[in-house]
Amino acid sequence: MITAPEIAFIAIIWLIVIVVGWLLAGFMYTIYSGRKSRLDRIFSPVERVFFRISGVDPTKDMTWKQYFISLLLLNSVQAAFAFLILSYQSFLPLNPQHFPDMSWSLALNTALSFSANCDLQHYAGENSLSYFSQMMAITFLQFTSAASGMSVAVAIFRGFSGKFQGLGNFYSDFIKSIVRVLLPISFIASIVLVSTGIPQTLNGYVLANTISGGTEILKVGPVASMTSIMQLGTNGGGYFGANSAYPFENPNPISNWIEVVLMMVIPTAFPFLFGRMVGNKKEGNVLLFTSYMLYAIDLAVAFIALSSLNRGMEARLGVFSSVFWTVTTTAFTTGSVNASLAGMNPLVVLSAFMGMLIQATPGGAGVGTMYMLMYVVMTVFIVGLMAGRTPEYLGSKITPSDVKLAMVAFISHPIIILLPTIIVFASGVASSAGIGRGPIGFSEVFYEYTSAAANNGSDFLGTAGNTVFFNVSTGIVIWLGRFIPILVMLNIAGNMNSRIRNFEEGLKTDNILFAAILLFSITILVILTFFPFLVIGPLLAYLEGIQNAL
Amino acid sequence: MPSDIGLSTGTPSQDTDGNRLNVKRVVKDSILRMNPVKLASNPVMLVVEISFFLVSFMAIAPGTIPSVSSPSEQLFYVIVAFILGLTVWFSTLSDSIAEAEIRATATSLKSLEKEVEAKKMDDQRNIAMVSSKDLRTGDIIYMEKGDSVPIDCEVLEGIAMVDESLITGESSPVRKTVGDTLIGGSTISTDSIVARVTVNIGESYLSKLISIVESSKRPKTPNERAVSILLLGLTVIFTVIMASILSLALALGIRIDLSVLIALYVCLLPTTIGALLPSIGISGINRMSRSRIIAKSGRAIEAAGDTDTLMLDKTGTITFGNRVAVELVPLGDHTAREIGEAAFLSSWHDDTPEGRSIMSLAYKHGYIPKEFSSIDRAESTEFSAATRRSGLTLIDADDFRLPKGGKDMLQRTRMRRKYLNPESGEMLEISKGAPDAIKEAAPECPSGFDEAVVSISSVGDTAMAISVGESIVGLIRLKDTLKPGIREKIEAVKAMGIRPVMITGDQPDTARTIASEVGIEDFVSQAKPETKLEVVKKEQSLGRITAMIGDGSNDAPALAAAEVGLSMASGTMAAKEAANLVDLESNPAKIIDVVVLGKQLLMTRGAITTFSIANDIAKYFAIVPVLFVALPDLGKINILGLGPHVAVISALIFNAIIIPAMIPLATRGASFKPMKAMSIFLRNIITYGAGGVLLPFAGIELIGLTIRFFVGGV
Repeated sequence: MITAPEIAFIAIIWLIVIVVGWLLAGFMYTIYSGRKSRLDRIFSPVERVFFRISGVDPTKDMTWKQYFISLLLLNSVQAAFAFLILSYQSFLPLNPQHFPDMSWSLALNTALSFSANCDLQHYAGENSLSYFSQMMAITFLQFTSAASGMSVAVAIFRGFSGKFQGLGNFYSDFIKSIVRVLLPISFIASIVLVSTGIPQTLNGYVLANTISGGTEILKVGPVASMTSIMQLGTNGGGYFGANSAYPFENPNPISNWIEVVLMMVIPTAFPFLFGRMVGNKKEGNVLLFTSYMLYAIDLAVAFIALSSLNRGMEARLGVFSSVFWTVTTTAFTTGSVNASLAGMNPLVVLSAFMGMLIQATPGGAGVGTMYMLMYVVMTVFIVGLMAGRTPEYLGSKITPSDVKLAMVAFISHPIIILLPTIIVFASGVASSAGIGRGPIGFSEVFYEYTSAAANNGSDFLGTAGNTVFFNVSTGIVIWLGRFIPILVMLNIAGNMNSRIRNFEEGLKTDNILFAAILLFSITILVILTFFPFLVIGPLLAYLEGIQNAL
Repeated sequence: MPSDIGLSTGTPSQDTDGNRLNVKRVVKDSILRMNPVKLASNPVMLVVEISFFLVSFMAIAPGTIPSVSSPSEQLFYVIVAFILGLTVWFSTLSDSIAEAEIRATATSLKSLEKEVEAKKMDDQRNIAMVSSKDLRTGDIIYMEKGDSVPIDCEVLEGIAMVDESLITGESSPVRKTVGDTLIGGSTISTDSIVARVTVNIGESYLSKLISIVESSKRPKTPNERAVSILLLGLTVIFTVIMASILSLALALGIRIDLSVLIALYVCLLPTTIGALLPSIGISGINRMSRSRIIAKSGRAIEAAGDTDTLMLDKTGTITFGNRVAVELVPLGDHTAREIGEAAFLSSWHDDTPEGRSIMSLAYKHGYIPKEFSSIDRAESTEFSAATRRSGLTLIDADDFRLPKGGKDMLQRTRMRRKYLNPESGEMLEISKGAPDAIKEAAPECPSGFDEAVVSISSVGDTAMAISVGESIVGLIRLKDTLKPGIREKIEAVKAMGIRPVMITGDQPDTARTIASEVGIEDFVSQAKPETKLEVVKKEQSLGRITAMIGDGSNDAPALAAAEVGLSMASGTMAAKEAANLVDLESNPAKIIDVVVLGKQLLMTRGAITTFSIANDIAKYFAIVPVLFVALPDLGKINILGLGPHVAVISALIFNAIIIPAMIPLATRGASFKPMKAMSIFLRNIITYGAGGVLLPFAGIELIGLTIRFFVGGV
């Protein structure tokens, strides 16, 4: 069980993150609402260069369709760019270890995965990627995918608020997200991380003499610059195969907690930003409160049986750090890991599932709040009718088309997870990949697709994932899981943007009552959908585990 | 498709026993409705029926489906199939009951639209007897005392008292004159009338109502559509989940029984709301029809529930409108007799209740003017909106001799025009009208006029000024009486968070007093015909849903623009065409009932949907632990502690009987007290949300224990 000092420690981390997130939200509000700021003098010239080269007019408002097409187009080009780098890295510079080209399916999987902010990795970076690939393909996509998610959220906020002309301009939001938010913060974070001992070099691997007299190859590289954006942008794809369980990515408790805070900051800032953009900060607080309560439930589930089954935990950082990280990385759909899931108690796995199935606890950078709004639309519709009026959110009526779209987003999640999972077991894929048929084997595959669909990226499958089948199927699931909800939510936001608002009567959504209803409704909707699968997966493993322990 | 035999206005149904339901017919109808083709429009119940067929097959031939069924479970399959069949039947039963109720309403209304003999007039005013069925728009018909009005028509000639009690329930006859509308089904109680038919048969408001209630293809309202989408979405999700469980169980070698999986599937489907959704809509229209309001679309009823601003005409809605003269106020050095006589003369030709009350007030005081004898030779000035005054012009009898003959007034007037030389005689114009209008026409205004007007209107009364020639002689105080119960109704409207706005042509002071007396903050005084439209437009630009009442042609544009437009059956054709709701009883205060009904409809749908989804938690906990028979470890989450068979059967029984248990709620609507949306919401979320989570735990456990008590542990 969890101890009182540990609870206090969690409280301190939460407090730091919430304060930083709140400050960041104020900063981002200035950026995205187009207000003048003193920082314009530094950033505007940089942004103008991009706009002049690309020939984009950043002041032109886009419809939701234009916004989506621009996003999809840019992300596709970036994914193609990364695919080419990975496929031909042996011909490219900065490859001191002379790693060969990636196989087409692995390169495809990696490009799709990183461009969609998922960062599911079927490779070990230190054994297969050149410095050039790590920087130009991986780190590059970690910036662009995070910025894409943030831009989409901002556009959706504009539509929901109805206070702006249109949904904004994608390219402008995208460039601003990188130049003004992601680059400055990750620059500072990288320097701090270097000071904790994370390497940052372009020199080749180091041959070191160990104390015991033998030699060892120290795998180094531009690690700190990638670790900072991987956490900050809720990407989660690490420099090393073992991710932040590898000492050079996460050398000590200080780096560990800095990384935790980094991954929590942007998703925490977005609900605050939502409140500011819709003109009622309480609306944002409700979303944040609800997601943190769900996060707290996840943590509670994970810590229930901590003492009984914790073999294989990361000894260097401690059981508490590992479990907290695992829950947090799934709750914020980041997917970086500091300990292997394989040894965790099934309840920790259950908790990790909950984070990825809900996707809004608080979820990934920008998109987490987007999912929260999907739940809000459904909840407001289901319960709102009971107020004796057509349900309204932020003064706008919820129409049949909104309900339809929100349902599409909600239904797509179980379908893209369950369909491939069934295919794996019904066809011969599972047995040929050596995956067991018990609750653990099922959990592994179910987890793989859940992680892909939720754009989380943590994995349970290990190296068994690097087959053509898994590479291609997870690649498809990742993109569907990324772009279907974005398409649908942009559509809802576009429709809502043009509606006349009336705030006088109807359901009030800026209070603790609505937060409680939302919390309950999300739990019911997600449990209703996934309960049987959690039962035959982690829950059964837990129940069997207890029996074994007795 | 079966051919459409007979129109909706065809032979009247033999089933005339009013409001009692014919049980046999309802049961037969509900069984016919179980035809899967007919269920296709209701996806939830359709998949329940498919499940029923599947389990029935398992019951007949247990063991034919390998690995997910076993011959030893035959009895269990029979029971499951039976309960599933019952579930579908309960659903169609609720539809049948709602339809039967509405058919009863339609029948009772239909009896009003009986085929009658009509007297059709041709161009030469020859009368031919025809059937009311053969009348077309534009036909001229003649009606006299005792005739019933065959179809909606507009009076061209004559004045008559008409008994509309069959339609409106209003017992005292209504006076109808040129330009008024007669409603088909009412009866002429005095005199005779010539009228022009304004609708084709089958298009009258009664037929419209009947065809709406009888139509099986009722268009869905926006919220009904949204709920259907939600239900379809949930059906898809649960279908995906069940297919996944089945295939995974087969792939992973976990033994499950198909019938238990199907039971889980049916329990999770939102069957309660799926079964009751159609009947909620039907009974909504039924309740509206029973209160004699024709909704031209379900959308209007729903919009009524969303009303933010309610525009109320002062006259007719808040007050009776027939203002009564109660006091004569002489001004300057004029005497009470002077004003009394002037008032008498000016109101002589005024046949409105107002004018008659002025006459009787003057008569009561004995103020009979000496000009009374020559009054029939005076020129009367009709009230016009332009001058806003009426009265008469006395002509000196000596200067003017009327030729003999010509007894009736019209003829005299004509002759007077012919012979009268305005220059020759001394004319005296006596007028009454709105104080400002009279002041404009008569320059000699006694001191204290304005103060007197203000003092009258400040207490909510209406002042009317009287002028004789060039000078104003005094004022008449007219009192308007509030309708009984209107204050409470306004109170209820405000309690629901709806903003009432009073519209009146009165002076601001009068308007303010009346408004504050009934508790209305917003009012528009000195309204012109176009004011209503302006108010509607302004409210809409603020995103507010507006409801209004109207009966005049002037109101038509505003009625068309407002989301909820209720017109009176006694109103003009233009108003009725423009409005989306027509009240056959012509009672404007009923707009408030429409709002309440709209709210109830939305609430009922929301309440049953929430209840239905909240129920699923308990059903999961009842069935999932026993679903995977090969995984005994799951027994630890079996918090209800029921054996596998008992658990499944109890959950299914609960799932089925909750449907008929909710039929009264669906057809009568969730209980409603006028409150703010948030308070209504809070009450309902506790009842149907929290109740929906907890009730099935208790219900399933109770059913389980009962089964165990009678049958023993299974």
